[in-house]
Order: sequence, then C-alpha cells, then structure tokens
Amino acid sequence: MTDAPTTSPLLREPRHRVSPRARLMWQVTALVEGAVTIVVLLLVGLAVDAVDVRWWMVVAAVAAVLGWVAVVPQWRYAVHRWEVTETAVHTQTGWWAREQRIAPLSRIQTVDRAEGAVARLFGLATVTVTTASAAGALEIDGLDRRQAVALVAELTARADAVEGDAT
Amino acid sequence: MTEPQDPHGPGDWQRLDPRMLLVHPVQETVRLLPVLLGLLVAGTASGARGWQLLGLVIPVVVGLLRYWTTSYRVGGGRVELRRGLLERHVLSTPVDRVRTVDLTASPVHRLLGLVTVRVGTGTASTDGDERLDLDGLPAADARRLREDLLRAARAARPDDPDEPSGPHDPDNPDDPGRGPVPAAPPVLTFDPTWARFAPLTSTGLVIVAGLVGGTVQLLDALGGFRRVDAGSWAERVAGVPVLLAGAGALVGLAVATSVLAVTGYLVANWGFTLGHADRAWHLRRGLLTTRETSLDDARLAGVTLGEPLGLRLAGGGRLAAIVTGLGDGQESSSVLVPPAPRAVVGSAARAVLGAAGPVDVPLRPHGPAATRRRWTRALLPALLVTAACLPLATGSAWWWLPAVAAPLVAAALAADRARGLGHALVDGYVVSRYGSLYRRRHVLAVGAVIGWNIRATWFQRRAGLVTLVATTAGGRQAVAVLDVPEADALALAARASPALVEPFLYDRPATGRSAQWPTSTPSSRT
Repeated sequence: MTDAPTTSPLLREPRHRVSPRARLMWQVTALVEGAVTIVVLLLVGLAVDAVDVRWWMVVAAVAAVLGWVAVVPQWRYAVHRWEVTETAVHTQTGWWAREQRIAPLSRIQTVDRAEGAVARLFGLATVTVTTASAAGALEIDGLDRRQAVALVAELTARADAVEGDAT
Repeated sequence: MTEPQDPHGPGDWQRLDPRMLLVHPVQETVRLLPVLLGLLVAGTASGARGWQLLGLVIPVVVGLLRYWTTSYRVGGGRVELRRGLLERHVLSTPVDRVRTVDLTASPVHRLLGLVTVRVGTGTASTDGDERLDLDGLPAADARRLREDLLRAARAARPDDPDEPSGPHDPDNPDDPGRGPVPAAPPVLTFDPTWARFAPLTSTGLVIVAGLVGGTVQLLDALGGFRRVDAGSWAERVAGVPVLLAGAGALVGLAVATSVLAVTGYLVANWGFTLGHADRAWHLRRGLLTTRETSLDDARLAGVTLGEPLGLRLAGGGRLAAIVTGLGDGQESSSVLVPPAPRAVVGSAARAVLGAAGPVDVPLRPHGPAATRRRWTRALLPALLVTAACLPLATGSAWWWLPAVAAPLVAAALAADRARGLGHALVDGYVVSRYGSLYRRRHVLAVGAVIGWNIRATWFQRRAGLVTLVATTAGGRQAVAVLDVPEADALALAARASPALVEPFLYDRPATGRSAQWPTSTPSSRT
C-alpha cells in the first residue's frame, strides 16, 4: 500500500483476528514439518554416496527452518482476519501474497467446518464457505472451535433464507 | 412420443428410436475395428476359418444389447436415463438443473434422421458413463424435447427475469430436409473464407504432432528404423545444403499443417449459424457430424473474446460464452464463434451481449507501475537465460542465438502484454483484457459476479497494484483484472457491486497508513 495523498476509498481489513492459538499451531506445524524435512534430507544424503553432507549444510537448513518458524506464523497471524456482516462474508488470508475475499451471503452454497488432528489439539477449527464458483471459496483457518460452531450455524441459517440456487 | 404425457407425474420408461438397432452395431464395429482386423489377420494366418465371423457377431450383439437395455423418461420434473446390462446405471437430474441441451448427429444418425440429445447439467463429472445422452431420437422429437426441457428448466427457476429478451420472432418449427435450423433469422452465418484463420490457431499444430507421433510409432513398431539405411540417406542428402533441406522440410510441414487445419476447421464448422429464438441462443455447425447447442439467456453470464497471437496479427478472433454452471471442461458447448474476422466476432459479441459498449469501449489502462511489472517479469528470466548462455558461447557460436534472442523476445512480449492490460465497467458488464500470446477480453455481467477476490503479493503491494478477481459460476470460474492500481480496482468492484463492497470501504485519511479497527478476538459478531 502506498502513501499517495489521495482520498480514494480503500478496502478495510475484516474486523476480527483469528484465535491467538492459531499462531502457536502454525509455529508447531512449521517446526515439525521443517524437522521432518531436515531428517529425511539428512538420511537421504547419508545413504547416497554422491552427496557429501557437510555440517554447515545442516546448520543452514536448521537456521532456515527456525527463521521460517519465527517469521511466517507471526506474519500470517497479523494478516489473517475475518468478518461476517448482515450481507457478506469478508476474509483476509496469506502472508507474502495477501488475499481478501468478499462474498455475499446470498451466494453461499455450502458452509464447512473442519477440524484436523493438529487443530483439535489446539481447540481450533477451519470454516470454509463455498460459493458456486470454484475460484470463490472463503477459508477461515485457526478459528476457536466454539466460535466456529456458532459461525457455521449462523451462516447456514442465513444462507437458507435465500431462495434460488445461488448461481 | 417423447413429450412428457403428464407434467406432474413421471412418464413411462421409453426406448430410444428403434432405428438405433442399425446404428449401434455399426458404431461398435467401427470402435472394435483394430481388434477385428487383428482377429482377421490372426485367423487367416492360422488357417482357421469361421473365427473371423465371430469377430463380427460380437459388436452386433453388443450393439443390439445396448438398444434393449437403454430406456429413458421425462416427467415429474426429472429427466432419467437407465442403461447397462451387467452394470446398471440410472441417471436422474431435476429439470431445473438443465443448463444446456445439445443435439448432435453423426453421419450414420443423419442418414437415418436421428439425433443424439445431450442434456448438460452443471456436474463437474467428466466420466462418459455419467453423461445424460439420449442417443437416438427422431430429429423432430429431439427438437421438441429440447424446447420442452429448456422451457421447463426456465419455469422451475424463480430467479429468472420474465421479460423476453431480444427482438426475435417466436419460433416456427419448420425444418426443411436434412438439418435442423434455428427458428429465428440467424445473427451469424458461416463464410468458408473464414477457414483462412484455421492455420493460425494451435489446432493445426496439434494435428500434425499427432500424425508425426503416430507415424513414428507405427514405423518403430514395424521395425522401419532398422531397415532405413542411414548411409544411403546421407549420400542422397549430401548434394543439398543442410539449411536448404531444413527450410524445405519446414515449408512442407507448414503446408501440411495448414491443409489439415483448414480441413479440420471446415469439417467442424461447416454450415455454422448462430441465432436467437425462444429466449435462448442456438448454435449449429458441422459438415459430417452436425452439432446443435442451445444456451439459455438466463444462463449466459458473458463472453470471452479470444485473440491468440496468430489470429490477432491476421485480424481475427474467436468468441466463447461464459455460461453459468458450465465449467471449463465443457468448452465445446460454449463456443459462440469459431476463428473468424474480428468484425464478425465483434458483431456477434454485441448481439449476444445486447450492448456494444463492452466490445468497443476503450479500456482504462493500468498505468506505469503495471507496465514496469510486465517488463521486470519478462526480462528477468530472459536475462538469466542470457547469463547462462554467455559462458557457453565461447565454445560454440550457436549459443549466441538464445543469448541474444531471449531478451528480444521477452521485450516484445512485455511491451505487448503491457499494452493489452485494461479494464472497464460499461453497460452492466465488467470488462477485462490481458495476455499477449493468448489475449483475452473477458466480458462478465455484473449480476453474474458472485464474489470478489483482491490479491496482492509483497511486490505488488510495493507497486500499489492488486489483482482483482470477479468470481462467477461459469467458464473459468473467475475473471481476473491483472495488476490494476488498488484505487482503480476498488472503484471497479464498488461500482459493479455497491451493496456488497461499499460497506468494507473507508476513505483513506490523507496521512495515515491504514485505519485502525478493533483487533481483539471478538466475543460477539455483528
């Protein structure tokens, strides 16, 4: 976003952040994934003679994973937001590439609440709102579970109130 | 006979036209032809007589069984198709889910006056077993069934605008002779000279690639390569300079491609007509196998004017419809105009949209930042290629070719891509154009937009650009406005869907970076 002195309207961010526990979940997930990747690479490197594994390679890989764990989940938590108004769902996701999605409640096709194994450990859930367009699904990752249940109920009720097949 | 007897209860299960008893065995024989030939060769070689006849009996029996095991019914708000001997399939779809009704007729069908009715629903399934094909109805019945289905589908939808659109006559169901004709005066009729555009599309290349691949495989299978004596070829070619031989081969290939492409184009599009009747667009084409497609007005969300580089340079283009509920995989159902002169494509687009603006209006360019982005994105990889080639150039002079060509091609591409960028909101349509090798101008009705995505990478944010995406339930599922200045993007979205987007806008304070909103996790939602 540039600071050009203009008064043209801008899109505001959605009001609500996701649960702070999501940050922790993303950190743990990234750490585990990174550790597994390093171990697998290390084993392959040791098994294959052609690759000469040096200690600094391992250090670099560990540093990269730690850097990722320190920065990306934090960044993602700062970006991830959501909001449901009387007429629309509004989400913001991503970190490097940031994406805001707006869909009217009247065009909602399905509302889906998913709890992965890891998400359950943290009491979190993902709510996915789909529209009739394959390019238009809105996903809210890292919601508090009770909040997710209430949100799904609310969205379903509102989508039911609309006639037609929402295409 | 094909009409639902009682619109409220399901009709009786009916067989398809008995003349299919002639069609199915022929089709099965053709399909099994390689196997049959193999049997014939094997039988003759082994000296056993009579086995070859068995080879003919199988497809005939299969064909007959197909007829006896297939039945369909229309009524009670559903279309149902039952088929299969060992594995029974019962396909059933509510009439209000019917998006398109296609009529196709292969040469055999046409000889017998039959038509295949393909009922298109919004299904994402590409499995042939799950298509609702009524293969083999008398042509007149098929056309009546199509009208019934489209009318029933319309009546079942409450959100359908009631006014009849377009200044077209109500249909008069007279069909002279062999072919079905759109009832209204056609908006567009075929001109064989359009075939000159055929070699400029990729279809010709695909045909040649297929032929070359097939020939090579055949030669390989027959052990041909081992028999070709490389030495004698080298002697024969030695008299001719290599470059000349290469050029000759290229010209030969180009001519072959062109001939094949033109032939393919004429076979596919002969007798092309586009007309409007009974609140739907009707399209018909085909020299041997005729194809009739109907696109319901209420489902027509917009059009895409496609201009691949070759067509664009020759002053041509093509037109496809964005049909709600019809995905990208069903492209053949959404063709509106095959490759044709730009003026023809333009007038067809104006007629289909009912407005001239989206086709003619000059688009709002995306400004210097977007242009810069096109250049960096094209030039950086090209310069990497150059950097990689330069060290090799000391070894062989040929490496200079990619080293110099890559940046030049990239520069041309970047300039053209930058020139292509543009958007507009006119006559109730969102218009977006982008691309160079395949330039597209998407025109999407505002009412068909079911959501907005605004996406920006870190680089884009630094440049003040976003990629705005209007999602829709048809075609490629989305229309992107590439690298548009953020303010322009929001203005476009807000003007197109004010009720949806405006509540999320704020007027930027002259100094602040972004507005502050309560950021705690909420205990209650609005």
